[in-house]
Amino acid sequence: MKARFLLCAAMGLFIVAGGFWQPHDPDAVDMTLRHALPSFEHPLGTDHLGRDLASRMMIAGWRTASVVLAVGAIGFVGGSLAGTAAAILGGWREQITLRAAELFIVVPTLIWALTAAAIFGLSPVTAGIALGLAGVGPYALLSNSLTHRVLGQPFVHAARGLGVSSPRLMARHVLPNTLPLIFVYVGSQAGQAVVAYASLAFIGLGSDPSKPDWGSMLFEYRMFVFDHPMLMIWPGLAIVAMTALLNWVFEHRPGS
Amino acid sequence: MTAHIVRIGLRSAASLLAVSALAFLVVAFMPSDPVMIAIRAWNLPVDETTISALRTEWGLDRPFPARYLSWLADFVTGDWGRSFRTGEPVLDEFSSRLPLSLGIGLGGLTLAAFAAIPLGFAAALKPDGVADRLSRLLAITVQAVPAFWLGLVLIWVLGVQLRLISPFSAGIDVMALAGGLVALHSTGMLARVYRRDLIEQTMQPYYRTALAKGLTRRQALWRHGHSSALYALLSAMRSEAGWAIGTTAALEVLFGLPGVSQFLVQSISARDHSVLLAYIMVVAGWMLAMNAGVELAMRRLDPRAAR
Repeated sequence: MKARFLLCAAMGLFIVAGGFWQPHDPDAVDMTLRHALPSFEHPLGTDHLGRDLASRMMIAGWRTASVVLAVGAIGFVGGSLAGTAAAILGGWREQITLRAAELFIVVPTLIWALTAAAIFGLSPVTAGIALGLAGVGPYALLSNSLTHRVLGQPFVHAARGLGVSSPRLMARHVLPNTLPLIFVYVGSQAGQAVVAYASLAFIGLGSDPSKPDWGSMLFEYRMFVFDHPMLMIWPGLAIVAMTALLNWVFEHRPGS
Repeated sequence: MTAHIVRIGLRSAASLLAVSALAFLVVAFMPSDPVMIAIRAWNLPVDETTISALRTEWGLDRPFPARYLSWLADFVTGDWGRSFRTGEPVLDEFSSRLPLSLGIGLGGLTLAAFAAIPLGFAAALKPDGVADRLSRLLAITVQAVPAFWLGLVLIWVLGVQLRLISPFSAGIDVMALAGGLVALHSTGMLARVYRRDLIEQTMQPYYRTALAKGLTRRQALWRHGHSSALYALLSAMRSEAGWAIGTTAALEVLFGLPGVSQFLVQSISARDHSVLLAYIMVVAGWMLAMNAGVELAMRRLDPRAAR
């Protein structure tokens, strides 16, 4: 357990550091150094415009991490609040909330994000907000069913009998019991968010081509698959590594 | 049964209506003005008369609810508007591209369901055996590896190294590859769901009775566990259906296949809002149809589940 969090912290630190410092300017074009092989100067080599691949990967990692943070925060906070509040209020207000949550599930998360990207352009901010808002639905349904389970417990009846108000009941008695379970779900959502953001950037709706993302790099470099396959190997490996690490750290072992 | 079908149909129609209202609202908030885009696209003179004439023609001067209702009436009667970019009716564009996208998505899902059952069964028959490890590895891998990157790697391996397929050709081999990639993800997930439910059945008293009667493990699992596990598998198909849309979209872009998602990507730079709206409606229709189909199949398997 400890090793997992250390590894995750190390990767987080690496990504944050990579967001603020890169060995080269990621957008510096050097036509004399096109498709350079890996060297001490350029650890992963350069691309078709002579840009340093490692620097571009680092910026892209930071952008992906900010999407994951936004998606996790918005989905987690919004969804657990909406689901819990709906369960406590009950009645028609609960029905409306649950129907609204299901509405977001009818159209898959990626399609809502695609729509948002098409309208507002793709950036870590818009993608994070769109994927996060679309993710509120599943969180709300999950926290709603968990809350119903807690609401049946004797200590909740006791608290209600003592005249505890609904917001206080939610904050003191319900959320501390449901949040750890909802948090497990954050892990699998975070992994999916990495893949979803990469897909959005790959599809490229309204994305800014001058800003590197792992997904958009894969789109840009796919044409060099014949002569320079390593260009498309590195961003893909980065997506896989980040998703696998997130899934592994938050992994919900059956029975635990 | 008929009453049940009618109820599912009505509920799906209500959901579709709600999605259409939400989508129309989102698209109406588009920061760019369709009139200015059309003027630029068609090289019209930028003056007051042209702008107001176009606004009146498209009904943009009317209040929002009226615009929504008239759009809805047109949409239901088959008038999906015209694409800015190609000038063709959106409905025609979609109906010529939809078979390809549906073929990849639905073909992949069907393939996955048929592959997941033997794999999951073998995994449940011998926990921690070869099939069990293989299916677990597959499930973990497909969660972390995006299908479009795997497709890119396969283009390199199959197309460049082995020269088995011709990449970016939109031929039958590339379409089969896309379907297979959709199937791979769903196979991994569905096989685990199917296996988990089968294992749960082995804890049940009737399973032990079947063993005591002299059935082999394989026979007992198939006769007494399969239909329950199939129920769980069908239920998981719903979330896989949503996943398949996203994967199909990325694969269409990767392989250059002329499907609906590729059409959307090409249209979006022209801020073609009727195409965007039609796309959302088609996706919602696909999800609702999958939900309804799964629900009906689940009801056939277990009539008690009627809610």
